Amino acid sequence: MHGPSGDAPADQAPEELIARIALSQDKSAFAELFDLFAPRLKYFLIRNGSTSEAAEELAQEALLKVWRKAKSFSADRGTASSWIFTIARNLRIDQARRDKRAQLYAMVAEFDDVDPDRPDELVSGYEHARLVRAAMGELPAEQLEVVKCSFMEGAAHSEIAERLGIPLGTVKSRLRLAMRKMKKTLEDLA
Amino acid sequence: MTIVHHPSEETLIAFVNGSLCEGNSLVVATHIAHCGKCQQAIRDLGMIAGGLLEQAEPAPIGKEARTACLSKLDDLPVEDVNAGTQPLRIPAADRAMAPLSLYDSGKWHWVGVGVQQMVVDVPSDTGTRVFVLKAAPGTRLPDHRHVGTEWTCVLKGAFVHDHGRFGAGDFDEADASVDHNPFVEKGEECICLVAMNGHVEMTGWLGRLIQPLVRF
Repeated sequence: MHGPSGDAPADQAPEELIARIALSQDKSAFAELFDLFAPRLKYFLIRNGSTSEAAEELAQEALLKVWRKAKSFSADRGTASSWIFTIARNLRIDQARRDKRAQLYAMVAEFDDVDPDRPDELVSGYEHARLVRAAMGELPAEQLEVVKCSFMEGAAHSEIAERLGIPLGTVKSRLRLAMRKMKKTLEDLA
Repeated sequence: MTIVHHPSEETLIAFVNGSLCEGNSLVVATHIAHCGKCQQAIRDLGMIAGGLLEQAEPAPIGKEARTACLSKLDDLPVEDVNAGTQPLRIPAADRAMAPLSLYDSGKWHWVGVGVQQMVVDVPSDTGTRVFVLKAAPGTRLPDHRHVGTEWTCVLKGAFVHDHGRFGAGDFDEADASVDHNPFVEKGEECICLVAMNGHVEMTGWLGRLIQPLVRF
C-alpha cells in the first residue's frame, strides 16, 4: 500500500480506517481500505463463481456500503475483515428482493447463549480475531486448503474433492480435523 | 435443553458463506437459535472468513473503476446510526421461534394419520419446500427413503430413528443415504421444522398405498 520510503504513514489497522471514516468522512482512509479489501473481495467472489466484471462491481458496491455504514461497525463485536465479508455476502444474496437471509444472519449474530465448551467467553472481537488467526496459522497446509475451498468457493465437498483430486472422505476428514483443531486452540487460549 | 445433533461443519460453513438456499438457511438458523455451541461456532466461522479474506490474493481492480468509486463518496453520506436500523435484542426465551417468525405460514392440514402439516412461505428458486410437521405421540411414520435432502430442526417433543433420538433443538440432516423409519416418542407430540429438497419415497406396502396422499 505504501512504499518503503517517503513519509507515508504506517499502514493502519482496518478497524482504525473505518473509525476514521465514521468520525470524519475521511476519504484517504477509505482509499486505503479500498486498496486493502476491494481486490481481495474481488478474488474471493471470483472463486465463488462470479465473473471478473461482476466480482469487481460487487467489491466496489461492498466498499461503498462500508463507507455508508461505517458508524455501525463495532470493533468489540468483530473484526473489520469479518464485517466486510458479511457485507459482501449479504449483497451477493440480496439480489432477490423477498430473500430474508440477511435478516436471518443479523438475527442469529445477536444470539449469545452460553456455549458449554467455552462458558467464560468474554474476549473482545479483536482478541477473538487474534486467537482465530493464531489457530489458523497452526493448521497444516492441506487442512487450510480445504477450509479455504469450503469458504471461498461455497462448494460442496464432492466438488472440492474433484478439484483437489482427493477422495471425498479425505475432504470431510481434513475439514473436520481442521475445525476440531481450531476449536481446541480457541478453547485452550480463551 | 441438551442438544446432541448439530449441523455438520460443511453445513455451518455453507450457512455463514451464504451458499445455502433460504429454506435450508431457515432450518439451520432455527437450530442455531436453540444452540449456544453453534452460536459460538458461527462467530468463529465469521472470524475465519475474515481471516481468509485478509489473506486472499488480491485480484487487481481497474484504475478507472477505482477512481469512479472514490468519486462517488462526495454524494454519499456516512449514515448516522439510529436505533431503528439496529437488530433487536431478542430475549433468550423467545429465540427458538424467532427465525421462523420472520415468515408467514399457512394453516394446519392433515397429511396422514396423526400427522399435520403447515406450509411456511419461504420463496425458493431451488425447489426447497419448508413446512412445520406436527405428529401425535407414538406416531410411526411409514418407512421412507429420501430422494434429495431433508433437513429438520425439532421444535418440541422428540422422534427416534436409526441415527438416534432427536429432541428440541436437535438438527437432522437426512439425505439419500438414509433409509429410515422414524417414530415419535410417547407422551408428547412432536413438532419439527423441515426443509425438503427433492421428495420422499415410501418404501413399505402401507407407504406405497398412501404415497399419493402424502405431499411431504
